[in-house]
Amino acid sequence: MTAARKSLIEVRGLTKRFGGLIAVDGLDFALGEGEVLGLIGPNGAGKSTTFNVLTGGYPASAGSVRLDGEEMLGLPPHRIAARGIMRTFQHNMPFEGMSVADNVLVGAHATMRSGLIPVLLGAGAARMEERAARKRADELIDFVGLGEFRDAAVTTLSFGQGRLLETARALAGEPRIMLFDEPAAGLTPSECDRLAEIVRGIAARGISILLIEHDMRFLLPLADRVVVLNFGRKIADGAPDEIRADPAVVDAYLGEAGGVGAAAGSRAGRPDA
Amino acid sequence: MGGAPAQWWLRWVAATAALCVLPFVLQPYELDLYRKLLFWVALAVSYNFLFGITGQMALSHFAFAGIGGYTVVILLTQADLGLGPAIVAALLLAAVLAFIVSFAATRLEGFYLALATLAFAQLLIIVLDEGGTLTGGTGGLTNYALPTVLGLRIDGPWYALVMVGVLLGTLAILLRIDRSWFGRACRAVRDNSEAAAAMGVDVARTKIVAFTLTSVMAAAAGMVYAFFDNTVNPPVFGIENAFLLLFMVIVGGSGSHAGAIVGAVLLKMSQDILEPVVGHYHALGFGIVVVAAILFQPKGLIGAWDNFRRRMKARR
Repeated sequence: MTAARKSLIEVRGLTKRFGGLIAVDGLDFALGEGEVLGLIGPNGAGKSTTFNVLTGGYPASAGSVRLDGEEMLGLPPHRIAARGIMRTFQHNMPFEGMSVADNVLVGAHATMRSGLIPVLLGAGAARMEERAARKRADELIDFVGLGEFRDAAVTTLSFGQGRLLETARALAGEPRIMLFDEPAAGLTPSECDRLAEIVRGIAARGISILLIEHDMRFLLPLADRVVVLNFGRKIADGAPDEIRADPAVVDAYLGEAGGVGAAAGSRAGRPDA
Repeated sequence: MGGAPAQWWLRWVAATAALCVLPFVLQPYELDLYRKLLFWVALAVSYNFLFGITGQMALSHFAFAGIGGYTVVILLTQADLGLGPAIVAALLLAAVLAFIVSFAATRLEGFYLALATLAFAQLLIIVLDEGGTLTGGTGGLTNYALPTVLGLRIDGPWYALVMVGVLLGTLAILLRIDRSWFGRACRAVRDNSEAAAAMGVDVARTKIVAFTLTSVMAAAAGMVYAFFDNTVNPPVFGIENAFLLLFMVIVGGSGSHAGAIVGAVLLKMSQDILEPVVGHYHALGFGIVVVAAILFQPKGLIGAWDNFRRRMKARR
């Protein structure tokens, strides 16, 4: 099923060195339209580094990242975002001086076409665009379930609500690919379930999803495919069931006796639901 | 944008009318204080956009007012340009200089940006002091006059209306763009530039545009100032006033347009009232007020007012 999908993004030989340390070493993977790909591995395996290279935060040492055939490496972060690669952050990074709605509207920045002069002159097209953007932002805020906080200051949100805000903000950029960096970390079980629903909803819109996650109970039911990293290298790539059974993965990451359940419980540090 | 559109327009019309009528009822000395107050408010509003909204701790705002004032006078009296071309040329010069300064400064943040723009402001003062007959040296330029416009001499209360126009123009432009993608990008850059970039905001470009735009606004205000007393001299555009402007925005509530206006009005009026009484010691009082504001009420007087209103609402 996944193999038949046309791949939207292709990562080939992606390598990132920090001095003598090789954080990501010749990583290859592809992501199809509407596919949910999990990226897992022990701490320090290079998952977050991979995200930062994909979004232009760090320059890559080697390799290529092609979105619909166009090379992304070398583009600055704001251009990569404008091409449709949007992300959430592991530690929420809201714009603290702004309302929830305005935070989401910043996510729509690259989709705004009106220049500053038409905005200044109050041109009809600019006003219509602004109105449409506000309407869309409101829809996204409702989609993630923050409707009652629309005009609230972001500082009043809980951690879990902040995570939902990050999701709505990134979606406002009309992404083709969403990158989630440990979205379940720090969430309560019920918040996790809600987020999983939202992630499914995003994938159902045809948006591809790349997910870093330690919480296997959250990830495995959600992912179409899982890539496992260890010391910067890919050690497995397959459907969740294959990954669960892969001896190399169990050895490096999931742990032996308890298998998946134990890994999920201990690593995510959340009580069994 | 809140409320009915009709109400919104009414408020603007009422405020404009009040600002325009005042010059005609004030005594000459009060009129002088009033138009200078308007000059400070205009600068505070544009400086708030740069410092409070875009988060750029620049100390060059008064320098750009000086560039606007001096340039238009020099072009009128020494290059024999007409008023229109002189104004356009002075604004262009301010825009080019602001672009160069901000282009270099976008790599700098916080403390370093403050130092770089401080150096620029000091450099301008040296150029003005040492400029010979071009800038009039430490004494500045005097004995010039605003040319007639279409045969009319604009002076007294009528000239104060020009400053009202520049203030309202500055405010209208900044309010408009503040409520657009550009204003949101500026605030995003201020709050978290890494996240802003990840959301598609070109951080460097946003900073350069905000810096250039607000610096040109400062130059426009400086031009009007140059014909208040038909004299311009270096100390006016020096670092002391640059800091007073920063204080105004902080005390009023940085990031808030209303805060900038309140801060400018309060500090300027207390300076006008205190200076004849205690001389230069009023600066000491301002320093204490600013430290207190930063420590106890970082959102300034507007923040305190918002808290007060919220508490009253909660009590009901």
